[in-house]
Amino acid sequence: MSHWLLTETLHLSEALLLAEGLPGWREVLLCRSFWAILLGGLAVWLLLPNRIAYGKTLGGVLGIIGAGLFAADWPLLGNWTDQGVFWLLALITIGAAASTICSRSPVYSAIWFALSILGTAGLFFYNGAQFLGVATVVVYAGAIVVTFLFVIMLAQPAGHSDYDRITWGWFPKTFSVLTAAVFVGLLTMLLGNLKTAAEAPVEPAALAAAAERLEQPGGVLNSAHMANVGKHLFTEHLISVELAGTLLLAALVGAVAMAIQGKPRLATQIEEALR
Amino acid sequence: MNDRITFCLTIIPALPLLAAVVVAVLGPKLLKAYSHVPVVLALAGACVASLVLVGEVSREQSSVAVRQAGQGFEQVVTYWTWAAVPDALAAPTEAAAPTESGASAATSADAKPRTFRIDISLRADALTAMMLGMVTFVATLVAIFAAGYMHGDRSYWRFFATVGLFVFSMTMLVSVSNFLLLFVFWEAVGVCSYLLIGFWYEKPEAAAAGKKAFLVNRVGDFAFTLAMFLIWCTYGTLNYHDTLATGATDPEAVQRAVVDPGSGELVAGVLGQSRIAAGNYVAGGLATAICLLLLLGACGKSAQFPLHVWLPDAMEGPTPVSALIHAATMVTAGVYMIARCTPLFAVSPEAQLTVACVGGFTALLAGLIALTQFDLKRVLAYSTISQLGYMFLALGAGSMLGITGGMYHLFTHAFFKALLFLGAGSVMHAMGGVIDMRQFGGLRRLMPWTHATFLVGCLALSGIFPLAGFWSKDVILASVHDKVHAFDHELEHRHTPHALHDPAHPAPESSAEAKPSPLASLTDGQLAAYSKIYNVLYWASVFTAFLTALYTFRALCLTFYGEERIPAQAGHHAHESPPLMVAPLVALAIASAVVGVLCIGTLNNWGTNKLTTYLEGAPSLAAGAITATKVPAEFHLAVAGVGTVAALAGLILGLYLYLGDRKEARFLQQMFDLQGVDRLTDPQWVVGLERVWWIGLVTRFLRRNYLGWLVTAIGYVLGVLSLILAIPLLVGQFVSPYKLSLHKFYFDELYNAAIVWPLRLAASVCYWIDRWIVDGLVNLVGAIPPAVGSVMRNLQMGLVQFYALAMMLGALILVAARMIWAAG
Amino acid sequence: MNELSLLYNYLAVGGILFALGLIGFLVRRNMIVMFLCAEMMLQGVSVSLIGFGRYHGSLAAAGIASAGQAEWSQAAGPWGGQMLVIFIITVAACEAGIAMALVLMLARRSGSLDAAFWQDLREEGQPAFVDQEVPEERTEDRVWPVLTPAGVRPESDPDQLLHRPRV
Repeated sequence: MSHWLLTETLHLSEALLLAEGLPGWREVLLCRSFWAILLGGLAVWLLLPNRIAYGKTLGGVLGIIGAGLFAADWPLLGNWTDQGVFWLLALITIGAAASTICSRSPVYSAIWFALSILGTAGLFFYNGAQFLGVATVVVYAGAIVVTFLFVIMLAQPAGHSDYDRITWGWFPKTFSVLTAAVFVGLLTMLLGNLKTAAEAPVEPAALAAAAERLEQPGGVLNSAHMANVGKHLFTEHLISVELAGTLLLAALVGAVAMAIQGKPRLATQIEEALR
Repeated sequence: MNDRITFCLTIIPALPLLAAVVVAVLGPKLLKAYSHVPVVLALAGACVASLVLVGEVSREQSSVAVRQAGQGFEQVVTYWTWAAVPDALAAPTEAAAPTESGASAATSADAKPRTFRIDISLRADALTAMMLGMVTFVATLVAIFAAGYMHGDRSYWRFFATVGLFVFSMTMLVSVSNFLLLFVFWEAVGVCSYLLIGFWYEKPEAAAAGKKAFLVNRVGDFAFTLAMFLIWCTYGTLNYHDTLATGATDPEAVQRAVVDPGSGELVAGVLGQSRIAAGNYVAGGLATAICLLLLLGACGKSAQFPLHVWLPDAMEGPTPVSALIHAATMVTAGVYMIARCTPLFAVSPEAQLTVACVGGFTALLAGLIALTQFDLKRVLAYSTISQLGYMFLALGAGSMLGITGGMYHLFTHAFFKALLFLGAGSVMHAMGGVIDMRQFGGLRRLMPWTHATFLVGCLALSGIFPLAGFWSKDVILASVHDKVHAFDHELEHRHTPHALHDPAHPAPESSAEAKPSPLASLTDGQLAAYSKIYNVLYWASVFTAFLTALYTFRALCLTFYGEERIPAQAGHHAHESPPLMVAPLVALAIASAVVGVLCIGTLNNWGTNKLTTYLEGAPSLAAGAITATKVPAEFHLAVAGVGTVAALAGLILGLYLYLGDRKEARFLQQMFDLQGVDRLTDPQWVVGLERVWWIGLVTRFLRRNYLGWLVTAIGYVLGVLSLILAIPLLVGQFVSPYKLSLHKFYFDELYNAAIVWPLRLAASVCYWIDRWIVDGLVNLVGAIPPAVGSVMRNLQMGLVQFYALAMMLGALILVAARMIWAAG
Repeated sequence: MNELSLLYNYLAVGGILFALGLIGFLVRRNMIVMFLCAEMMLQGVSVSLIGFGRYHGSLAAAGIASAGQAEWSQAAGPWGGQMLVIFIITVAACEAGIAMALVLMLARRSGSLDAAFWQDLREEGQPAFVDQEVPEERTEDRVWPVLTPAGVRPESDPDQLLHRPRV
């Protein structure tokens, strides 16, 4: 651990994030993560809207097994309280996310998405990003999801649609799951060095020093969190804030313009209402 | 240098060009119905300048120095150098083929490499001055007439802009001093002619006629270019005039170079005074080739057989155009060119004979065709071809009398033919565009002025004393007549050197004895044969004179006499033309009437012709072999008598046939159409023979004496004979003389079958090859990318999510590649 | 707490979230669900960034970084990740606003939220995509989320429902 801490940060990232060699077949077959990804992918494939009997049940079981395998392959945090909280939040986030994409009804999707956002917000809180956690809940769960629900209600008054039950052709589901699985697998391989480093035994002093650094006046876990966020946001990133404001304004104007364009004329609306 | 000549020479083409540019720029928007004003003013100005030029040239010609030198007068104005290619011709071949006189020792300059130098230079001499005066005078009157005739036309300005451009090109054509520039403006007048024939391009006939004229002229122009190449290779220059090697034309410097041939500075022009004086021309086959190619070029432009077919169709253009371009000016360019090239033709009696034959044949052919045409303008067009044939015949005579006579006829013909065309235009104007003589008649009371002037034109064209045509036609007939005697004389002279000359046909002047006659190169047999041919041509031309009077008065009678008929298209136009149109008619009528008389000499020497005398001052005619053929001025009373009798016979026959009820004319028509031949094909006529009283007497007598079988046998023999005879007669009905004439001897059909269709066939074969083989290969190459693309095309299904998936896969591949690269 | 382990775990969760969002975006045809999935992918990135931020905070919160990398450390150190996430949320909000307007307009044009309806970009001559066979909806799926009724049911005038005085 000290080895990594003493290395210069710039080079550290490079060294951590690039695998030093491709794993052999044997390594891969023995790896839990490989089977976890395989099972998880299969689970998602089964859970996604399809016509397979007991697809949901089978998918759910496979998903739980896969998640368990995957989680077991992750390095431990060294503290079982922390570990439990993290697993809970991760489970909520990922489970809700999986449910979002697998729900037949978009309304349920939206609600599951809101739950997933809550889990994410918890992860944010847990990592010392209180402001962002609150902001995520407010912006996504509060505003976006409600808006989407509103739109869904407006657009689908007649009930569930055909297109929520099927996908476009025979291949997209398979290919998409494959793509995502390969993506996650690549990521895991990529983080191989990081995992090795994380699993190395750590001196308690180093842990204490890191914790102390985090709670310093400018640290991430310092109690003056909002002050620190505000300081950085409005000093170093002032121009970006201005640009973000301009972007929001432009998006507002664009959204209004588009919404008006798609709207039928008032007279037509009245006629339709009268009919 | 005469500054006044320089000024006039510059301003004559410049004014019409300026007017054309002004009208082309300002016409469509600003001038509109006044577009004729700049053109008429410019042409009048050019006309005045031309008359001044004629006077100046006359004055210079009669100056003592020029007369003593005996080389004629010319003044060359060089503006700038258009092209100068050094060492373009290594060694002229001229020295290899000296003329038989041996006088053509190649100058030292000829041995040097030649610079291909084209100077923009104009020349003033008698030929040019005469042509300029005629062109600008007729053009001015035609432009005034056209202002009335074209009034209200949608493209009024375009007409006058093109006319301005034409006059510019024509004046340049006659005044340039270089074969290449001659060719340039030769083409330029062709283009103007094309534009004006196709002036009403909405009419398909007009567009086709323009195209035909242009294409037929290309044949002649091709020959002309070949002639030009030969001239360049033979003489090492294309200039008419003598220059120094530097291109300078200063007369004194040139004179010094001529005197001192060792300096090597002189570049003797093809028609330069020094070359003519030295007689430095190649002879033999090369000369004949050059001359024949030039002749073919001239045939194209002047509508001579075999390239005469375009001129009648060109009548689709506006009538003033027909008067100006296709009667008076452009079509005479060929005549002018051959007259200008007299020194080249003089060394080749064969070429001259060809010129004469082409001219005589064309004159006769066109005269025969004109007899049966019902389109007034076409009658006049064939008449023009016929008269141009006369001019070629005169040029072909090759004597001084012939060449000046040809030019003289050109001069007078311009006036009365322009007059006739303008008269036809006036009739057409009144008849609402109808020109078919069967649809109108008896217009004499309706259009008195047009009638009177047309009558004058007809008389002049027919060659009735004392109008213009009489004098010029007489000179032509006389020249051909003299030519026959020149051959006879040469033949006689060769074997009995000191034989007494026939007093009626005196020998060439003693001064010319030093220069042997060009006829010396001919063998006795050739001399005799040529003599016979020219004799035939003489009588053909006399017959043509008869035909001329006949068809002219036929047209006159059909148009102006008989019962008054006016076509429906005429509408309210059926009245005499406005003064603007009548005035040029009157002016031209007066000119046609008096121009011949004005040209004859003084009373005590009334055979002398002022115009021909004037023309003899041109360098091409003033010296060289042509002077050997000069005879003392004389009026050929006998020839004039023959010509007049022929013309009067034609005139009277025309009047007799077409005045009154035209019964005789119809009878003649049927006779020449071989109608009634079919009656002969019925053998029953043999039976009818018995009804004839004296045959009946004989047969009855025979039968009574038991010889009835004899009668029957004779009857059968006669019947079978008549059947056999009927076959050619029946065939003959389809090519009866009348039908031949009416259908222009089927020349168009002949050319279509012999030239147009084979070419079209070849073109379609080429098209097929290009379309299916050449293009096919290209298309095959082009078909490969789509074929490859069609495989990938199925991927473009338009579903947004598919594109997202594809993008994601691509990104994944990049990431994987990066990882493997980093790991490896 | 082992900071490297934490980083690894966060990156793994972020990656899975991203992957799930990706699958949903590619497979689902409901445009709104597609956009929810897009947001989910953004969330996955955000989680990773927060993890990086925490890790960098544990490395060099104040002044530990050497002099040569001071500026970089200040900008992308403990707070860089959170700053980036703030802007991600901003951009996501813009995207959501425009996406909503777009979806509304497209839904009004086509009468459905089906993304496969819009396939005019396909190559000329390419047959249009048509659903071959749509499975019957299962009974257990025919359920809509229901809100528990509470309070008094308001009187509704059917005429007013048709002719709304205000919009």
